[in-house]
Amino acid sequence: MTDEAKPEDVKSDAKPEEVKPEVKPEAAKAEAGSPDAKPAPDAKPAAEAKPVAEPKPSVEVKAAAPAAAAAKPAAPAAAAKPAEPAKPPEPLEPAKFGQFLKEHGIASERLPDSCGVETIVIAGDQLEKAMRLLRNSSEIKLDLLLTVTGVDSADTFDSVYHLWSYSHLDQLVIKVLLKKADVAEGDLPTVPSLSNFWSAANWHERETYDLVGIRYTSHPYLRRILNPWDWEGHPLRRDYKQLVDALNDKNPHSMR
Amino acid sequence: MATEIQEIDLKTDEMIINMGPQHPATHGVLRLLLTLDGETVKHVEPVLGHLHRAQEWQGQNRTWFQYQALIDRVDYLSGMFTSWAMARACEQLDGVTVPERAEYLRVIVSEMNRITSHLLWLGTYLIDLGAMFGFPFYPFREREKLFDLLEEIAGQRMMFNYIRIGGVLRDPKPAWFDKLKAFLDEFPDRIDEYEAIVTQNPIFLKRTKGVGILKQSVATDFGVTGPCLRSSGIAMDLRRTRPYSVYPDLKFDVISFDKEGDTWDRYMARILEMRQCVDIIRQAVEKIPTGDIMGKKQMAGMRVKAGEGFAAVESPRGVLGCYVISSGGEKAVRFRWRNPSFCNLTILPELLKGCPLSDIMAIFGSIDIILPDVDR
Repeated sequence: MTDEAKPEDVKSDAKPEEVKPEVKPEAAKAEAGSPDAKPAPDAKPAAEAKPVAEPKPSVEVKAAAPAAAAAKPAAPAAAAKPAEPAKPPEPLEPAKFGQFLKEHGIASERLPDSCGVETIVIAGDQLEKAMRLLRNSSEIKLDLLLTVTGVDSADTFDSVYHLWSYSHLDQLVIKVLLKKADVAEGDLPTVPSLSNFWSAANWHERETYDLVGIRYTSHPYLRRILNPWDWEGHPLRRDYKQLVDALNDKNPHSMR
Repeated sequence: MATEIQEIDLKTDEMIINMGPQHPATHGVLRLLLTLDGETVKHVEPVLGHLHRAQEWQGQNRTWFQYQALIDRVDYLSGMFTSWAMARACEQLDGVTVPERAEYLRVIVSEMNRITSHLLWLGTYLIDLGAMFGFPFYPFREREKLFDLLEEIAGQRMMFNYIRIGGVLRDPKPAWFDKLKAFLDEFPDRIDEYEAIVTQNPIFLKRTKGVGILKQSVATDFGVTGPCLRSSGIAMDLRRTRPYSVYPDLKFDVISFDKEGDTWDRYMARILEMRQCVDIIRQAVEKIPTGDIMGKKQMAGMRVKAGEGFAAVESPRGVLGCYVISSGGEKAVRFRWRNPSFCNLTILPELLKGCPLSDIMAIFGSIDIILPDVDR
């Protein structure tokens, strides 16, 4: 029900946001002033503006779906505006961990730091190798896997890994981005599982599968963990429709 | 006519038994699928989700202000810490600086909350081990005194909603500090009392010494944190190793044991931690400055700046993390809790493998999980 109401809400929100890209770079600069920001100052605002532009596509996708004809002419115009400042998205220089992975032949793309923590994107097929390296090498030793999370972003499913260490203060966020366009209708996006060599990932991956619907291939026991085993759908997805009306108790699972 | 006793090789079949979900010692609603060979545990499969309340979904479907009031329920025994983790994550994104007095108040109330959490654990753990009569009332007596104090400033006994984004809710009156000091003077004697009953009790020692040994390699593989980890010899306490708030100004050491911890060590770690809390609160009460308690005005329509951030605090059970993604709107895009109970529970199948049936509750209780924190 709430999903139907959303497009209008978001659209009305979108108006003031169009003004924002001009304001945002200043805020981004202020953030870039923090000691953790290493890259060239001119590259930073352009990249930092990205998150502002990111929610945009979701607005268009959502608006375009129910009311195609009306929304379409507006959509490209809106998309063109923030694209101009972000046009030369100069790739950020790899920082400590990105550099380390590069030396070992693993390509990674650096995203703007999230609150001062290095954030990188890795391709799914490189993930296992990268994780083994980061965990076992004596110089890096990121041996505490805090969480594995799934995020349903506008046009990707993100599998997010937060790495800490038991012995030092460094931290790293790794993301695997799975384009929604690549996922066939009725299929789940797939990422290789880590649980065969890192037990901490086991339940987190089950939870992410359960709630966000990312399939971790070669997981030893990929089964729903928080929802009942026969639950349908993945509740934290944007397109999730509650099949049952819990308020009016039309739940087929209900015992009442 | 002596009867000859023949030795027969008796074979037993493996048997699958449900433990819970309505088992009194599972601290909530947890179902354990046990595969038993005689009385030996072969395999355990925890079945979670009986208390699943979709906390993360609610975070994405409520405004920031509304959700703040809900998150004490994530871990109802240590509500201060969940509030604090969320507050820190959002303050990071917003760039809010918290006044020093508020930080000291946060430390004081959280450490009080840590004591209440450990006290509840102590009482119920002794019940798990069979000390049904009498003992649990001792820790619960002190716990109520602390809750009275917390209720006085937060207005609620367990669901405090006291630590807010930007500061804390209320400034306690000077008389409150006097009451707190009186409690702190009395409390170490009470811990001595518990220890006199429990620590060297022969039955307690038999149930806990050498039971459920957690190796360091297993602990790090499963991402265990908190007292369970420290009692196994890894000195990781966020308050010291990744200091936040005003913890750097307070003097205390990380409590850790120099070996592979068993159930008794995990008990001892928590007892020592309670004594340490008393110390920390005393220092904080002495050092607390005067000034504001809110860095940012709280309003029903408040928003958090776009971006993503992760913040963690050291809760009584381990590293409690909060991962927030905001688009600058009135609701969060994604909320994710890193719950220590959920992560620590993963070692249960590993610890229970090969132990007798009677040790299940001794080991399970010593991990100190809380089911709402597991299921969210």
